[in-house]
Amino acid sequence: MLMRLAIVLAALPVALVLHLESDSVAPLLIVAGLMVITVLMPGSAGAALLIGYAALAMAFDDGHPLRLGVLIMIPALHLIHVTSALAAVVPVKTKIEAAALKAPARRFAIVQAISFLVAAFAAFIPSGPNIGLVELLGLGSLTVVIAVVALRI
Amino acid sequence: MSRADKIREAFAQSHGAHWHPTDAHSRAVWLGVGLVVGGMFLHQVEMVLFGVPLILSVLLTNKPKGTPTVSVRPVPRGAGAGVVHTVAHVDGADAEIAVIKLPGGPKVVPAHSPDLPVEIRRDAWGPGVDLRLDHLFAGPDGMHVYGPIVGTEHVRTILPPVEHHPSGPLPPRPAGLVGIHRSPRAGDSTELRDIRAFQPGDRLKRIDWRVTTRTGTVHVRERHAEADAEIVLALDTRTDVGANVADWSSPHYGATTRPDGSLDRAVRRAASMAAGYLRQGDRVALMDLSRPQLNIRSGVGRRHLMRIRTQLVVCVQTAGWASRVALRKLPQGSVVVLLSPFLDDDIAELAVQTRKHGHVVLAINTLPLPLKPDQETPWGEVAAEMIAAEHRLRLKRMARHGVAVTPEC
Repeated sequence: MLMRLAIVLAALPVALVLHLESDSVAPLLIVAGLMVITVLMPGSAGAALLIGYAALAMAFDDGHPLRLGVLIMIPALHLIHVTSALAAVVPVKTKIEAAALKAPARRFAIVQAISFLVAAFAAFIPSGPNIGLVELLGLGSLTVVIAVVALRI
Repeated sequence: MSRADKIREAFAQSHGAHWHPTDAHSRAVWLGVGLVVGGMFLHQVEMVLFGVPLILSVLLTNKPKGTPTVSVRPVPRGAGAGVVHTVAHVDGADAEIAVIKLPGGPKVVPAHSPDLPVEIRRDAWGPGVDLRLDHLFAGPDGMHVYGPIVGTEHVRTILPPVEHHPSGPLPPRPAGLVGIHRSPRAGDSTELRDIRAFQPGDRLKRIDWRVTTRTGTVHVRERHAEADAEIVLALDTRTDVGANVADWSSPHYGATTRPDGSLDRAVRRAASMAAGYLRQGDRVALMDLSRPQLNIRSGVGRRHLMRIRTQLVVCVQTAGWASRVALRKLPQGSVVVLLSPFLDDDIAELAVQTRKHGHVVLAINTLPLPLKPDQETPWGEVAAEMIAAEHRLRLKRMARHGVAVTPEC
């Protein structure tokens, strides 16, 4: 039950941010529905849909790419991913020793630290119509990342 | 390979005793790469930033290797009913967390935690599963799992408990050599058993001349045998009934016998009586009235008590209705203790016939009384009363023929 509660706690700021950035109540309802699916079936595609929907909704919304809502959503979406992954392997009524969550918490902190470094880097790189070199570097980096991920799986 | 075989193989690959990726791993890979690539091509920095943690969580975790195991220290075989403590040893190999189904409920522990204390509770005697630790190991962030694994069943047979009955004042005797009760049959000892009329076959040296001259007919002196008493515990395993008549026709699940039912009472009394007699040095045998192949010959000592208690469990495991009851190869002059609910005439007839053959018969009624009638039928009360009346008559008839009857145990 603890891991499922963590999914709800992680999804709440996502719902709140999307609701504040939107004029209608639709994003709130969609996130709530996907959250319920994720809590009830953490091993289903509910978590992927929730993360994907929230990411696309934020990306295509107006505003600065590094606004406060985005910075809140980066750890929140990652937390949804981690908690639903753990909830999928832990039965509902299970006692969880705090020591068992120490390693995932440490890894979460490391990932978030690197993610915010990337965010900081993104804040400094130039933007505008003449960024051919930056795009080239980005595509090169992306190719390397995809190659590494492909080799790992 | 057919499509069905492929689906079956894919399903088998996603379960069982090997490391396999979970949905979380697929989500992190495809969603992470999709968001980053989409963000790059669509010039959306937010998408890249949301995808980066997912990709990093894949890059920072390795697919675990090795074979994690959960082992349990076996419970001592002699441990009786009640609470028993043992420990489970978790060897997680490359796993990060272990999910173990303990008797008190599932628990998530670090895969390399020290030994887990496990409390096992067994309230009923008989064979049963003490513990089965089903488990699952998860790698970093739950992206790979090993299992779920169905644990090994730890089976243990709890012998029927022995209640120590205090014995009365007894004469001194060399403990461990002879019993306290002598055999009721005639023999060649020096102790006088009876003076009776002469019969063909009697030795002339046994003639009691004083009684012969006084009565005018030849009398002989009969002496006790130089042997201990032989106690035969005869168990009626054909029926196992409780006080509630409505439950008689339905099977009982979860225990070898009905708790406080007739068979449970019979076995407990038999074990306690065997212990009591064996402690006094008497020879004790066990007979199953409907399955003579399970009989145990008479013997003495502590090991014989263990043998009897073990065989009582075997008798109960094979218990069931049989059309005939018989006491075969009864030692001459033995004391027969008949443990039965006495629900049919065959068993009462057997008790009477055994008494007529010269054995001392003690009939112990194991039927839980008073009977509770079936409330769901209007004839329930009448039926229960008829059963009880027939039962009383049966006990009275046995008592009339010289069988010592204990109405309740």
